[in-house]
Amino acid sequence: MSAAARSGAAAGLVSCETCGLLSRPAQAVHPGHCPRCGSELEWRRRDSIQRTWALLIAAAICYIPANILPVLRTNTVVSSDADTIMSGAVFLYTSGSWPLAVIVLVASVMIPLGKLVALAYLLITVQRGSVASNRDRARLYRLVEIIGRWSMLDVFVDTFTVALIQLQPLMSVEPGPGVVFFMAVVVLTMLAVESFDPRLIWDAGTSWQGRHA
Amino acid sequence: MPEPTGADPLPQATVEPPKRTRLSVIWIIPILAAVVAIGIAVQRILTEGPTITVVFKSAEGIEAGKTFVKYKDVTIGHVTKVELADTYGNVEVTAKISKRAGALMVEDAKFWVVEPRVTLSGISGLGTLLSGNYVGFQPGKSDKKQTRFTGLEVAPIITDQPGRRFVLKAKTLGSLGIGSPIYYRQLQAGQIEAYALAPDGKGIDITVFVATPYDKFVTPETRFWNASGIDVSVGAGGVNVRTEGLVALLAGGLAFDAPSFAAPAGPAAAGAVFTLYSDQATAMKQPEAIARVYVLRFSESVLGLSVGAPVTLLGIPAGEVTQVGLSVDPATMALHPRVLITFFPERILARVTARDQATAKVMTEGSDKVRLQLIRRIVEEQGLRGQLKSGNLLTGQLFVAFNYFPGAPKPKIDWTQDPLELPVVLSTIPDLEAKLSGILAKLDSLPLEAIGREVQDDLTSLKRTLEDTSKLLSRIDAELVDPLKTTLEETRRAIASADRMLTNTDATLVGKDAPVQQDLRDALQEMVLAARSLRVLTDYLERHPESLIRGKTQENK
Repeated sequence: MSAAARSGAAAGLVSCETCGLLSRPAQAVHPGHCPRCGSELEWRRRDSIQRTWALLIAAAICYIPANILPVLRTNTVVSSDADTIMSGAVFLYTSGSWPLAVIVLVASVMIPLGKLVALAYLLITVQRGSVASNRDRARLYRLVEIIGRWSMLDVFVDTFTVALIQLQPLMSVEPGPGVVFFMAVVVLTMLAVESFDPRLIWDAGTSWQGRHA
Repeated sequence: MPEPTGADPLPQATVEPPKRTRLSVIWIIPILAAVVAIGIAVQRILTEGPTITVVFKSAEGIEAGKTFVKYKDVTIGHVTKVELADTYGNVEVTAKISKRAGALMVEDAKFWVVEPRVTLSGISGLGTLLSGNYVGFQPGKSDKKQTRFTGLEVAPIITDQPGRRFVLKAKTLGSLGIGSPIYYRQLQAGQIEAYALAPDGKGIDITVFVATPYDKFVTPETRFWNASGIDVSVGAGGVNVRTEGLVALLAGGLAFDAPSFAAPAGPAAAGAVFTLYSDQATAMKQPEAIARVYVLRFSESVLGLSVGAPVTLLGIPAGEVTQVGLSVDPATMALHPRVLITFFPERILARVTARDQATAKVMTEGSDKVRLQLIRRIVEEQGLRGQLKSGNLLTGQLFVAFNYFPGAPKPKIDWTQDPLELPVVLSTIPDLEAKLSGILAKLDSLPLEAIGREVQDDLTSLKRTLEDTSKLLSRIDAELVDPLKTTLEETRRAIASADRMLTNTDATLVGKDAPVQQDLRDALQEMVLAARSLRVLTDYLERHPESLIRGKTQENK
């Protein structure tokens, strides 16, 4: 950990989030616009921590019904089955295709949960002004950001199946209410990641105790 | 615009950072998420109905997650689990009932499996062919809640119609089945709801449902009978065909009515037990409280005498034949038809006028000794005898008639035996047959051929005669007609001349200015004059009668 690391804000400079240009702010309060790309400059993302927390909590709430409610309802002539994410994974495992079961389990259960935990960890450490393992936390943030969109896999498969299997009197598949909540979890975590300002990680331990929430 | 002067040093305005709202709007999102999640949870809890278990004999067509529980075709729950009961003898079907229908899960609620059912009286549950079987439900009346039920094997037919149930005791089920109609005066009044073997195994207990308003016509006196099919009976009364309608003809059915002799009574209590009669005639028979059995020993064929044939007393139905058999005379080894008859004195009693009722009662309901004496007197003194009679010449049915034969010889009867043997006389049927055969024999002996031949000869001569007559007529025609014609012509001529002559006469005598008329007028005038002079003469003679003698005298005398 380089002790010489100084944040731009601490040096009285503001960086553009779009093009990365470091410039002198127009005012202390409102840094103005980027002279190169014209996007609005901010010292730090507005209410970053508060927003992230809010979205994270919303995602956590939605995570519960997403796993309890069925995501897929299969109607055939002889039966009508409603499957939750977990029961689907269990069904795949018991029917022998354990790799698929692992994929479903990882993509649909563990990744969203991991994202929630990771974001919470980042937020807490930032709020506490922790300086330890800043680099790892930054890496964790990048990981969460990249991985985020892939957890829509489950929703994607769901919509695919519903659209393809519509043999009305014989067999039909319809989405369950769980899939909406699952989608909400994914979208909310993505938004939470988006609203989290990773620069806050580096603010800890610097003289610039910025205007984070 | 006045310029700010340096002489007025004004304080510098301070820049205050915008007041930060402590709470961001973003918090609406988690609140919203929480509200939705809690809402769903609350709704889940609120709509959670009771979970019930129904025990069925078999779970044919019932599947967890697919089978619904329906009441009035509305889904009120769904089967969540189907598994064998602990004893493996039954199937336990677990169903989740919706909150709304939860109050219906009471003690006497009924469950059954609805499946397509094709009977002669109709096809039911056709919808289940596509939708699969479902669990039918009928609410009970109890208030006591229950979660464990025993499913019915067959659907109860009537669900919530008002009416009453009765139990019919039958010997056999016949062509009846669940749902078979019950008719009252050929209107459908109800259905058979269930049937079961009687506990003693000696009959069938049929539970019937009679809907309002027909149920009030079921009185303790009401008779139920089997109206299935066509009831064709060939008896001494002729051929009888009776049916209760086409559906009953095909699918079987029951009918009920009160017999005409029944005393008016209030409606029977629900669950009352009735006997199911095999047909209307049997059902409508007056109950025979007193039945007396007698034996008749005939010495002729009883062909055509069947069990149930009527026994009449002086022409009035009084009983029926209950057995037709044979008896062997131990002394002579002779076989005789032995007919057992049952006498119903009440039938006779019903025909007796009120005034004679008391006397008749003594006769019919008196002690055995009195009765025996009475019969003995009638048989020995008045000559009451049984006789086979033909009820219907076409069908050859026989019946037993008791009539008085005053000249009959006194019979030898053992008055102590039981059942009592009554004396018989030979029927008139053999007489009739003998007469008929006599006539036939006479007919046979007639010289029909000779008669035929004679008739033929006669006919031949008749033909000849006729031919002669014909010839004669033609001759007459040829020889007589022409002169006759001439004669007629002449006659006509004569008549014409007569006519002419008469016309002439007419002109001469009565025509105007006819000479005869002229002469006649003159003559009449002459006669008038003559008459006048005659009167003058008579007047004169009246005044001077002497002039007849003396002649006319001078006026002035």
